[in-house]
Amino acid sequence: MSLEFLNAFKFMKKDSFIHNLDPRAKLIFALIYSISALLFTEIIPLILIFLSLIPLILAGKLIKQWLKSIQGLSYLILIIIIMNTFFLSLSFAISMIIRICIMVSAFSIFFLTSDPNDLALSLISMKFPYEFAFSLSLAFRFIPTIATEAQNIIDAQQSRGYEMQKSGLINQIKNLFPLLIPLIICSIKRAFNVAEALESRAFGSKKERTYYYTIKYSFKDWIFTLYLLSFLIISIIVRINFAIMPDWLSWELIV
Amino acid sequence: MTLIEYKNFYYRYKGNEEYALNNINLKIEDNKFILLCGETGSGKTTLIRCMNGLIPQFYSGFYRGSVEVAGKDTTITAIADLSTEVGIVFQNPENQLVAMNVEHEIAFGLENLGIESGEISKKIKEVTKITEIEHLLNKAPFELSGGEQQRVAIASILVLEPKIIVLDEPTALLDPYMAKKIIELLKEIQIEKQITILISEHRLDLILPYADELILMKDGNLIEHDNSNKIINGINFQTLRLNKPVIYSIFNQLKEEKLFNQYIPASISKVINYLKGL
Amino acid sequence: MKDIEKQLPLILIDNVDFTYPNGTKALRNINLKIDNKELIGIMGKNGAGKTTLIRTLNGLIRPTNGAIYLYGENIASKSIATLSKKVGVIFQNPLHQLFSNSVKDEIEFSLKSFEFTKEEIQNKTNEILKEFNLEKYRNRSPLNLSGGEAKKLALASIICRDPDIIVFDEPTLGQDGREIEFLINLIKNKRKKGKTIIIVTHNIEFANEHIPRTILMADGLILADGPTEKVLGNQILVEKASLILPQTHQLNLALKKSGIQCPNDLFSKDKLINFIRDFIKNKTSEIVEGND
Repeated sequence: MSLEFLNAFKFMKKDSFIHNLDPRAKLIFALIYSISALLFTEIIPLILIFLSLIPLILAGKLIKQWLKSIQGLSYLILIIIIMNTFFLSLSFAISMIIRICIMVSAFSIFFLTSDPNDLALSLISMKFPYEFAFSLSLAFRFIPTIATEAQNIIDAQQSRGYEMQKSGLINQIKNLFPLLIPLIICSIKRAFNVAEALESRAFGSKKERTYYYTIKYSFKDWIFTLYLLSFLIISIIVRINFAIMPDWLSWELIV
Repeated sequence: MTLIEYKNFYYRYKGNEEYALNNINLKIEDNKFILLCGETGSGKTTLIRCMNGLIPQFYSGFYRGSVEVAGKDTTITAIADLSTEVGIVFQNPENQLVAMNVEHEIAFGLENLGIESGEISKKIKEVTKITEIEHLLNKAPFELSGGEQQRVAIASILVLEPKIIVLDEPTALLDPYMAKKIIELLKEIQIEKQITILISEHRLDLILPYADELILMKDGNLIEHDNSNKIINGINFQTLRLNKPVIYSIFNQLKEEKLFNQYIPASISKVINYLKGL
Repeated sequence: MKDIEKQLPLILIDNVDFTYPNGTKALRNINLKIDNKELIGIMGKNGAGKTTLIRTLNGLIRPTNGAIYLYGENIASKSIATLSKKVGVIFQNPLHQLFSNSVKDEIEFSLKSFEFTKEEIQNKTNEILKEFNLEKYRNRSPLNLSGGEAKKLALASIICRDPDIIVFDEPTLGQDGREIEFLINLIKNKRKKGKTIIIVTHNIEFANEHIPRTILMADGLILADGPTEKVLGNQILVEKASLILPQTHQLNLALKKSGIQCPNDLFSKDKLINFIRDFIKNKTSEIVEGND
């Protein structure tokens, strides 16, 4: 599993219906889809839920990144199939896989299309404490920086003869120290630098803070949220009344 | 008018036995372009941190004496309140840019101070004009080059309208052409806004032509503070192991050969003026 | 066969391109020959490809096109660990590599991948600590060193491997006069021992004074490759590479512009001192003659 997988969750600025939605609406989307996926163990309903994601992926112009996230899951999928086939049924294994795909895709869509700063702004408008929302956006803002730093550390250590691949579990753990310690130290130093820069710009001032940028729920967001709520309600209804649902809904793979 | 005054100030970082600052007595006046130099480890960064209260409030340690900024005691005045008097731009612009885009970055300090939105808009316009970054307002920090990042950092401090802007090795990560442009920008700001600019630097050749005053530090002591001509011609400057410009070396040698007895020129144009005047 | 081998450059970079996965063309059509015992500077704008170029020398980056030859052999099949025995690259930020419990351990870590005996490792560690004046910090944690000492330790941890080719990435960054003096002496000593040295730097004055051959880069291309005084004297290229002229060249230019008669090649400190000395002497003797 390479670091490429993480790219499936990295925000990229684009102009699309999904990108322009309020991040709160998208967070609700990810949560509701995950809940719906957890409601069912039967294959067909899960496939239907999964398929309903596709128009959203297309609307967000996210096919390439989304495929990467599924690709990254491939190891996990393989392990699940093997484990489940030995201990339970293949049918159950497939359901689990689709469930995971739904949840990963939903959150992937959320992260891919939500500017972390917009998320912070929306948290603030929901009256979350400013420091909390700001820490969140700071964390996101520095992810690419830390990733670059990690690469530089790997390069520096390899230039000293450090070898990435080692055999044996204990050796592999010991082998992480030359990478982790510099990374942690550099991150701590960075945190200090950021903190002193923030202090120097009146962060933590006793005055009441102004918000130059604000974010509001728009009409589109309300429509989308309505759709999500209906989606959830229908899923719950189907689940409760599963016995009286048409037969093809409970089709199983006999293995 | 004295902006910052150190009175018999000592400072020791927690966990260190040696004092980082020893008996500092220093007055920094307004409307000056000052170069702070010294060997590495001489206490330059520590001195800078005292200027807006980071020392002793943010960095734990032990101090004696006092530092006053515009009459306010830095040990008890909140750092946020000192930020409108003294602005500090640190070495690595990457670690100072915290917002989603340049516009929000510049607004950040003003937001913290509770300035009203319309006012913020006006100030952003003004400051981006001086620092020539109007075309970058919508860009994210990682989309900027090193020189652009440094300009944004400077703009985000300038917008708070401090009476002095202090910069700790601002050109360290920049290529020479960018470095020169930033120093020129800072000189422009100093003249136009009539504020003091204080720069701590190793690259003396870039800054000496613009500096009105020099502060020399060694081993935590302030060994000399005077106008640049006097210092450049003094024995302290000569003996400190700094990266002295080539023209300094040339004229210092000629001075030792007794062929030259004026103020050692700090810039190329001064050299030419001298030679033409012979 | 042996004669031909002797004529081969030590490092040959043959038509190398490198494009990052996101499409950025970091290196374009790089052709470079470096001979044994040379001292070379690589200068250019940030993002010009300098650090990418040095990363290709020890395999951290593999070219997307073209090939790199070391001692006549293509390095494509060699691992980074193998290449780093011959090519020592010292990066800018010492904090990216310091992690051991003590300075001594830090050096020993670098020596580990060679098949030395315990005694040999001990001897080499002692030697390098002495050479770099770090003996007094032997048991100290590397994270407790000052910035300058940390940088020396990072240097020492590569030099202790005694690579034939030493590559520095911005060694003068944040260094004062004495630290740069140490660097200059180190470079002199290594050259005497026959090492080849490559320095990526922004420090024009340092390059002008101490580095004989300079390569200018911009946008992934090599703009110029030649004697430093000449390369740094080409104003157009220097601007393209986002550099400025060294003070010696600036002074030379200013002298000409001001109408003062002077030779065209006053590009070194010594030449300038001599010229100005004579100029002053002539002018003062004119005055004396005038008074008579």
